[in-house]
Amino acid sequence: MRAVIAILLSVSLVVTGCSKKDQPAAGDQARVKVAFVPKLQGIPYFEAMNTGGRKAAKDLGIDWIYKGGTTADPGAQTEILKSLIQQKVDVLVVAPNDPDSVVPVLADAASKGIKVLTSDTDAPNSVREMFVNQATADGIGTAVVDSLMAAMNQRGKFAIVSCGQTAANLNSWIDVQKRHAAAKYPNATLVDTVYAGEDEAKAVSMAKDLMNAHPDLTGLIGQCTASAPGVAKAVREAGKIGKVFTVGVGTPNSMKPYLQDGSSSAAVLWDVEQLGYLTAWAGLKVKKGEQPQATNNVSAKLPAVKYEGKMLLLGDPLKLSKDNVGDYDY
Amino acid sequence: MSKTEGQEVVLIAVLVVLWLALGFGTDTFFAASNLQNILATVAPVTIIGIGMTAVIVTGGIDVSVGSALAVVLVVVAKMVRDSGLTLVPAVIAGLVTGGVLGALNGALVAYGRVHAIIITFGTLNIFRFVALQIFDGKEVAGVPGTLEFLGGGTEGRSFGIPHSWLLAVLLAAGMWFYMRHAPTGRHLYAIGGNAPAAWLAGIRVNRRLVGVYAVTGILVGLAACCVIGGGGLVAQSAGTGLELQVIAAVVIGGTSILGGRGSVLGTVLGALLVGTVTSAVTLLGWHSELTALFIGVFILLAVGADLGRVSRPPSAIAGPDAVPDATAETPKDNQYSRHSGGDARNRPDPDSHRTGTPRHGQMRERRRRRE
Repeated sequence: MRAVIAILLSVSLVVTGCSKKDQPAAGDQARVKVAFVPKLQGIPYFEAMNTGGRKAAKDLGIDWIYKGGTTADPGAQTEILKSLIQQKVDVLVVAPNDPDSVVPVLADAASKGIKVLTSDTDAPNSVREMFVNQATADGIGTAVVDSLMAAMNQRGKFAIVSCGQTAANLNSWIDVQKRHAAAKYPNATLVDTVYAGEDEAKAVSMAKDLMNAHPDLTGLIGQCTASAPGVAKAVREAGKIGKVFTVGVGTPNSMKPYLQDGSSSAAVLWDVEQLGYLTAWAGLKVKKGEQPQATNNVSAKLPAVKYEGKMLLLGDPLKLSKDNVGDYDY
Repeated sequence: MSKTEGQEVVLIAVLVVLWLALGFGTDTFFAASNLQNILATVAPVTIIGIGMTAVIVTGGIDVSVGSALAVVLVVVAKMVRDSGLTLVPAVIAGLVTGGVLGALNGALVAYGRVHAIIITFGTLNIFRFVALQIFDGKEVAGVPGTLEFLGGGTEGRSFGIPHSWLLAVLLAAGMWFYMRHAPTGRHLYAIGGNAPAAWLAGIRVNRRLVGVYAVTGILVGLAACCVIGGGGLVAQSAGTGLELQVIAAVVIGGTSILGGRGSVLGTVLGALLVGTVTSAVTLLGWHSELTALFIGVFILLAVGADLGRVSRPPSAIAGPDAVPDATAETPKDNQYSRHSGGDARNRPDPDSHRTGTPRHGQMRERRRRRE
């Protein structure tokens, strides 16, 4: 029995090993292979990035490999990075689940001559040569607060429903929001910040708790793509449309019904497809050893991408309202 | 049984004290909107917990309920959105989908001769894969309010009480009556107490096992319909970690994780306690992470109380020949011995007989404890 299992295992190893090697070799050997490892595969956000990356690969004549885990788990991500190093890709781009736990494996990749970048989320302590940033924390944080304050008439109590308690980007937005609200909107008070995980139903429930705890609450911020529709749904279900206003960082398709019925006043995001496009473009640039200009004409849709201090910035955040939400399909 | 009820009395006391404290400590705990939110949030966990209690009483466990929920969510959400299914057919679709997944679990557990935690750990991953395949890389956004009758909004309430919670209470009452008074319901305790003996006593162990897992699946289907409720977004991460919430409610409710003892009433109270604490932490403006601490402490206290009961020397409960736990406490435990016309527990070595279930480990454990 044990022998049979051993044989089966070795056969499967050989088979999978072969298929992995064959895949990239099937393309032209001279083509640059850019691999992108998202936080997890299968969610619309990263699938939209993949769409943009594939588009860029076609325009630029490179190979685009997209491979992520089914959960946002740092360990699983490290395993995927290792397997891509084994496949000898030319460029490795990662959106790290945990910025610190990818540091050793990225160093390993660099020591084998693979160019390393981060995109969507940075790993500032790693050897990465460039970070493709969707938006600065300042850009997102101020856009969210400004949109909410416009709806709240610049005054009143508001609360934040965030997601992962340790998510670095969400926390940096919260910091900006606190600072910006305190500086620019003296009549508005942030009463509480709660964490619902990446769970829409929990965000709904917690948003209702917040409205119960503070009957005079007039604003809610949904900090991630799960809690943005969550807080809007809570307002709708509590029958408080027009009394409590919500703004969130949400994807167009998920926010559309709430933007239309007024339970969400605005959603702030960035053009995710273009972020994928820019990621592929940046990968090729680094592989060629070219330094980007201060302002780069990447494509017709990305005419002026700024580059500063190893960071490529996609541009200003995208503001979604009931008028333009139909223009995007993700 | 009386000891299980002891746990329920303690839970009721804890809940009452907690509610009174929150009532005095906050302005809004007893506001209708707050109680409605707690009940509507707790309902899906309670509904699944009803089935999970029966499963755990048989000595098994179902850790795949979160993934099964994700499968039902995506199937029903897509049907409602894309095919314009109405309320009743949508609920039926949910119940059928959940029931199929549950029956699959049950068949594997009953005939697979591997412990349920391994089987359902496997199906947890498989169901998640199936759900992700059906999601097809996109979350299901813009689900219409077809199921709002079961949701957390105004349409989901009658006389101020959420329909989902009413359903949970009705189903819990039904299951409580079944497990306490129906012969086949008593069999579940017998199986959890001592499966080989139950089999020898003429209980159709495999059939009962397939039944409890299938029922759990059906309840997962119903819970999914409540979760969709007013519509909106169904994301890929849906249902992640739900199994732990459900098992927490069951364990806090006093059901023994070793099987053979427990009641649905305790599960309902356990779910209410968890729901109250979760909501209270936000209501009081405390840090969200405290919820995890409180639930953890409740679980340890509940399991500690359970172990306290079990580890008492057998002589303290009954004579030296008595079976230590479940069966001894079950007032009708001779229900199944009646079938065989004798006391199955006194047979020399039940392990040497064919059994359809993998309880040998527990048997040995029990015997060791007795010695």
